[in-house]
Amino acid sequence: MRTQQNIEQFGYRQELRRGVGLADLVFYGLAFMVPIAPFAIFGSVYAASGGMPVLAYLVGMVALLFTAASYAQMVKAFPLSGSVYNYAGRGIAPPVGFLTGWMILLDYLLVPCLLYLVASVAMNASVPQVPVWAWLIIFVAVNTLINLRGIRMTVKLTRIMIVVELVVLALFLLIGLWALLQGKGSGFSLSPLFNAETFSWPVVFAAVSVAVLSFLGFDGISMLVEESKGGSAEVGRAMRTALLLAGVLFIVQVWVAALLVPDPAGLLARPSDTAFYDAAAVAGGEWLRHLTSFATALSWGLVNTMVAQVAVSRLLYAMARDRQLPSFLAKVSVRHSVPANAILLICLLSMGLGLWMSTRADGVTLLSSLINMGAMVAFIVLHVSVIVHHSLRQGSDDVWRHLVAPLIGAGILVFVVINANLLAQVLGLIWLGAGVLVLIALYALGRRPTLTGHL
Amino acid sequence: MTRLPLHHDLYLLAHDQSGKPLVHASSLALGLAGAALLDLLLAGRIVPSAGRLAVRPLPSGDDPAAGRAGGDSATGRTGGDGPWSWPAGDSGAGQDAGDAVADGLVALAARGPDARSLLKRAAAADLCGLTRDGLLASGVLVRVSRRRLGMLPYTRHELADIASVVRASSGVRSAVEGWKPPDARCAGLCGLVAVLRLEEQLYLDQPAGRLVARLREIATAADPPVGELVEIVDVLVAEAAVAVYR
Repeated sequence: MRTQQNIEQFGYRQELRRGVGLADLVFYGLAFMVPIAPFAIFGSVYAASGGMPVLAYLVGMVALLFTAASYAQMVKAFPLSGSVYNYAGRGIAPPVGFLTGWMILLDYLLVPCLLYLVASVAMNASVPQVPVWAWLIIFVAVNTLINLRGIRMTVKLTRIMIVVELVVLALFLLIGLWALLQGKGSGFSLSPLFNAETFSWPVVFAAVSVAVLSFLGFDGISMLVEESKGGSAEVGRAMRTALLLAGVLFIVQVWVAALLVPDPAGLLARPSDTAFYDAAAVAGGEWLRHLTSFATALSWGLVNTMVAQVAVSRLLYAMARDRQLPSFLAKVSVRHSVPANAILLICLLSMGLGLWMSTRADGVTLLSSLINMGAMVAFIVLHVSVIVHHSLRQGSDDVWRHLVAPLIGAGILVFVVINANLLAQVLGLIWLGAGVLVLIALYALGRRPTLTGHL
Repeated sequence: MTRLPLHHDLYLLAHDQSGKPLVHASSLALGLAGAALLDLLLAGRIVPSAGRLAVRPLPSGDDPAAGRAGGDSATGRTGGDGPWSWPAGDSGAGQDAGDAVADGLVALAARGPDARSLLKRAAAADLCGLTRDGLLASGVLVRVSRRRLGMLPYTRHELADIASVVRASSGVRSAVEGWKPPDARCAGLCGLVAVLRLEEQLYLDQPAGRLVARLREIATAADPPVGELVEIVDVLVAEAAVAVYR
């Protein structure tokens, strides 16, 4: 009832049928994050962390648990299907909301491109006769067709895909642990968690700036607040649960994989996009390499792209309807009930950028860093929104939730951003600068940011 | 000639002669809900009141559909999922608008929602099926069963007489061409045709963009409820297109 009252307080009434329970919210978050996400970026995280990928994932999980806590506070205050764009706009001010939306756009716009690239690299690892660029074109074409036809993930399909991914992960873990017991790899060790020879905080935070990619998507659960049976409180619980579950799964799988890396020194010197599959091959042979790479290709290239496409379409639609982006992005195809213009924009962007990145050795790492940069900056603003809205405006005396926790969360993320890939920092700043220019132009045209819609 | 309810006209325009829908089911359901609500607003059966909708009682004071909003004491069933959870013969149709869709909207409106909420809740019901059943009952559509390749059976709901769809679009065509000034009902249909991008069904020799702009202009120029309702349907159709789960 509390949520119902809150919604009405903003002039809205409960409209969507509440039918999504806690388990399905968690499944949706996991589908967005992908339980086997580290398969794809394991090599980059391993190299960036000086061979301590477990520590990188642990710090990343803690940082994002604070972010989830701040999300929960903002969802409770503004229980509308929204994104950080909406929360920052309402919690601080519409222009801040615009710039936050602009930064998270960097994440949302590039995520499909990264998903296609990773899926293509994974398929190329199994079928090297077909080059990465050709796989990329196939993935973009198939997904664009699926999206334009209006085919969506359903609650049932989400559950099935998560179960399939978990089965593949369980197989890898069982065979990996068995292989370690048989003396394959480097044997059990704590070095993936802590290695005094390579440890330094800048190294750890730099690795977190890559590893955090695997967790992105937990925030997508906030889009289901109006469908949630338990309202905003359940959304907060679902975010925490999904993050903890994903975090544990990520930590276990990278720990086992790190112990199976065939050439640790070589991987530290030259990060490889196929490092996880190489480790799987050490454990179970070629069939496990193919299984893990196929699972990555399917989960990143088909399932996650369908979920990501909805997220980016919603953000583009919301910002375009609020007249903060060109209006053609708010147009939809009535025949198939899809945001056709947004889908085509993402298709062109993913194709162009994906083909370029497929020619770069650091393509996956650079895209990941850029995506993470956009998300981290937006999450920092989210923490600030909690402090401004709850502590400053509402005068909340809940010092932990509304002041200390957001400060700690923002502090960790600031360190992550400071230690991120230099090129990603530069490009992130350029993107932010472009956002400021667009904001100035909006003011000059008399179209100052205002928030009108739900999304 | 008796005029069909507005949502019947919209249904006919939104299907081709063989009964295939020309727009997505979720978009069409919102359009049909908008059309039925507009009919009820124009008839004065539902009235806007302080941002919400209210049902105006029937002169006889006997309104079974509205009475069901809080539950059905005779059957013990609650109205939690809307009046469409009742079998067609038990929906109260015939005592008010004589139409299951309209009676269902009246029952929902008795709870005092705003137009946006009402349309979303109404569209969650099988409005397309109910409208089709109404058209079958009135003989405008006929059920035709055939077999693909002589084996796979399928059923279509085809027009009994093509004149029905011509009549449904005649007012809109007249309004666009300037032959006859549109009344509020016609202006609403113009707006909904534009929202659902059914302009090709008008067979007017005009570029699509210009035609849609003209249709929207007609809806906007009409009495306030018409333009506002069309605008709400437009937004809801767009939001349905970016929904997480359908």
